[in-house]
Amino acid sequence: MTTLSEQSAYPAGQQSVQSVGELPSVEYGLIRAHVFASLVTLVLSVLFGILVATKFTFPEFLGGHGWLTWGRIRYNHTQGIFFGWLGNAFLAFFYYAAPRLANRPVLSRKLGWFLFWIWNFAVVLPGWVLVAAGFSQPLEWAEFPLVEDAFVVLAFILMVFEFVLPFLKARLSDLYVSAWYIIGGIVFTMLAYPVGNFVPEIVPGARGAAFSGLWIHDAVGLFVTPFALAIAYYVIPATTRRAIFSHFLSMVGFWLLFFIYPLNGTHHYVYSTIPMAAQKGAIVASAYLGMDVILVVTNLLLSLRGSSGTVSKDVPLRFVWFGVVSYLLVSLQGSVQALMPVNRFIHFTDWVIGHSHFAMIGFASFVALGGIAHLWQRIPGKGYNERSMNWSFWLLAFGLTLMIADLTIAGLVEAQLWQSSAPWIDSVRAVASYWLVRTFSGLPILAGFVLFWISLITGPKTSAESISVLSREVSEDVPALDVDTAIAHGSSLTSRFSYVHALIFGAGVGFFALSFLVLAILPGKELADEIKQVAPVTMPTLTASEQRGRVIYGREGCAYCHTQQIRSLAADVRRFGAPTEAWETKYDYPQLWGTRRIGPDLSREFNVHPRDWQLTHLYNPRLVVRDSVMPPYPWLFKGSANQPTEEALDLAAYLESLGRARQLSGFGQQAVASRIQSATPDMAMASHASARATPPTVPIAMTGGYSDSAPVLHPASEPNDLQEEGSRGAALFAANCASCHGAAGRGDGEASVSLSPRPANLTAARFSDKRLSSVLWNGVAGSSMPPWRQLPTEDLRALVAYIHSLHVPSAASMQEATNLNEGKSLFAANCASCHGDRGTGDGPAAGALAPSPTNFLLKKPTEERAWEVLENGVPGTAMPPWQNQLSADQRHALVEFVRSLYGTPEENSRQ
Amino acid sequence: MINLIVIVISAVMFTLVLVWWRWSAFRTSIEAPKYFMLCQERRFDDRDSPRRPSSTYLL
Repeated sequence: MTTLSEQSAYPAGQQSVQSVGELPSVEYGLIRAHVFASLVTLVLSVLFGILVATKFTFPEFLGGHGWLTWGRIRYNHTQGIFFGWLGNAFLAFFYYAAPRLANRPVLSRKLGWFLFWIWNFAVVLPGWVLVAAGFSQPLEWAEFPLVEDAFVVLAFILMVFEFVLPFLKARLSDLYVSAWYIIGGIVFTMLAYPVGNFVPEIVPGARGAAFSGLWIHDAVGLFVTPFALAIAYYVIPATTRRAIFSHFLSMVGFWLLFFIYPLNGTHHYVYSTIPMAAQKGAIVASAYLGMDVILVVTNLLLSLRGSSGTVSKDVPLRFVWFGVVSYLLVSLQGSVQALMPVNRFIHFTDWVIGHSHFAMIGFASFVALGGIAHLWQRIPGKGYNERSMNWSFWLLAFGLTLMIADLTIAGLVEAQLWQSSAPWIDSVRAVASYWLVRTFSGLPILAGFVLFWISLITGPKTSAESISVLSREVSEDVPALDVDTAIAHGSSLTSRFSYVHALIFGAGVGFFALSFLVLAILPGKELADEIKQVAPVTMPTLTASEQRGRVIYGREGCAYCHTQQIRSLAADVRRFGAPTEAWETKYDYPQLWGTRRIGPDLSREFNVHPRDWQLTHLYNPRLVVRDSVMPPYPWLFKGSANQPTEEALDLAAYLESLGRARQLSGFGQQAVASRIQSATPDMAMASHASARATPPTVPIAMTGGYSDSAPVLHPASEPNDLQEEGSRGAALFAANCASCHGAAGRGDGEASVSLSPRPANLTAARFSDKRLSSVLWNGVAGSSMPPWRQLPTEDLRALVAYIHSLHVPSAASMQEATNLNEGKSLFAANCASCHGDRGTGDGPAAGALAPSPTNFLLKKPTEERAWEVLENGVPGTAMPPWQNQLSADQRHALVEFVRSLYGTPEENSRQ
Repeated sequence: MINLIVIVISAVMFTLVLVWWRWSAFRTSIEAPKYFMLCQERRFDDRDSPRRPSSTYLL
């Protein structure tokens, strides 16, 4: 501890205006208004968060209306916390602290009220309404639509006048570190906000992502962190009545923060197509930032030396202390998760969601709550209910701890499964219980915030006297010193070091500009050159319908669960296909890379699912993916999945376009891929475009291929084993197939009404092992049947066994046709062009048909089924009805003939 | 480029520490605001409560 008596050598000088004369007025009315607004928006934002979390477990909950859908509420949750809660809380603190730190009032009360109305009634409230109505920007921390961004920038300009100008009128050498954080936060956010919100609208794809990455981190680093630290640096000495440990260290921390934080942004896109130099720079900066945080927190905690009793007694200080400790932990966590070996594993998982909640609640919100409680008891006539506030603290601490632990573990589970070849839906199933716990963890957090509000409302009405009593109680344990001497000392120093502050602040602005140069402009130029060299000359643009679909995709928050960014990692490539190249998104305004995966990456959706599957999936995802947690979008349909609106068709068209340019241009040839497979570790792929250009493995999620390389899965031959296999197959069928094929396999599942061709009636034909294996392995091109090769071989075999059991030969028999020759000649005349001379599905026209014509050697329809097909055709395929062209006798002859084709000698021997 | 940035930042910070260590006037100057802040707190509290003993501040 430094005392004045130890510093007697300092010359006494003239007293500055800061230490004499009238004290400036404090705008208590504005403080109360911003506190009220902050708590209202906080509770609403947390309710949004709980609703979002609930929808992970109950996707249909309040899912019938667009304005209550997951994506839009998710946008309003984060923007509400950012602008509504934290923005108002910080503004309340500015009105309290700025007059004290600058010894000048804020510029204008009228300006203050204008700012209040702008912030809440031109930004927060309209922002929420617009997002709910479907007008938004699909960029992390920038979700309010562009029109709102103009008001945000205006608000920051007003803040400069309201708060920064009074500070600048004071002597810079007298400015306390909290003042520097307020100045820095306002100025740098005012500069960074437009870049993060406007630039991605005019700089597309990967180049725009480089700017988005900067803002994602600047939102935390230049807005949340500086203002929260300003509060921490204020509340700790004001409560303990003791100067902070070292102002020099606090300023070093301040300068380092503003030098380094802007350089962190690209660590959100590690292993992406953004140049590796920028990625590595961001990672190094992240590590450096961790050291800065250690310095800052050490200084703050040393300022609390000997004050443990005060921390336990004074609830506002305890809030701040908790926030400071959280700041250390979450920052070190952030530094670690930026490192490549960690990032490759946990990125996109719930681990990161836990990290962000740790930062926004554990650090920022706890400190902001401490700041509000601190200033509230110093507003004449106000006070807080200590009992309620105490409960608030413990409820928040409990809820937050539970949430972070839960999400961190969930993230590890997801990460582990994503490394494996397990189907994507397995990771959704595996963390379902964690999502439920997360929802419950939000309840004590909500209760804590509400109790905090109650504590302010129900607090004793303080008088000026009680404020002084409070101060004496807090400081009665510490020795007294001569404050007048302190005033003289504090204000006596000349301003000869002002230039040092100004110089370093100027350097901070320079580093801020440098961050854009190093992490956005230079990488952008490199990306532009790469795109110029690599992009196909004939790269197709989106059609008008696809473009409209893209807007809907952004509006509904699809990018917050589905990335469009396959990273240069073996696990990503194995699952989704070749890493995303910069040129693939060169028409994306703004980029939709995403930073989170609940569902799979969609970069290669082209040719994966047909239109009817997409529409059914949008109408109700659980019709085609039973355990999906994706929200339904019934407002895009007129009552059923087969009655899509224009918007649904647009969105489906956009989804089908993803990855089209790459596939049509011939990138990612398997032949090339296999040559480099053994020589493409993750780093090599991330560093070299040539390695990124080709996938080293067959992607799990791609239906492409259509190869004959599927293994033939024969069920067990022993009766007991076969029975066991069939039982397991039944369970697998119920879980994965029944929504389309129906519980009994008759092709009448809930989704079948909107699928074309309809799902196969598995009871109406005998399928060979080879045919079933091929379908399960490759899917059925031209239909909604996806490949299931990601299932373990044993499961596929069990499914084959179960599907065999579904076919029961018909008891009813038609009059037996006696002349197979007639059937053969009819087949040759009418069917062979598609089905081939031998009925193997490879006639001259077959190559152009999807689904492919039936191979009757591998599939033996029942008599009823064959008769039905000849009468009605197969809707959704090229098979026409033959009712009018062939007589009944001729059709009977054909039925007998095609049924006689079934089975190779081996297949027949197995029957 | 990133190496250069790290080196420059480190050099600036090292220089600051050096100046702080070797130049007592700078040390005094840079620590002054923390006392000023406390004094301001006291003055505002005194305005709200004139009977408050100003000697309870530990600097």
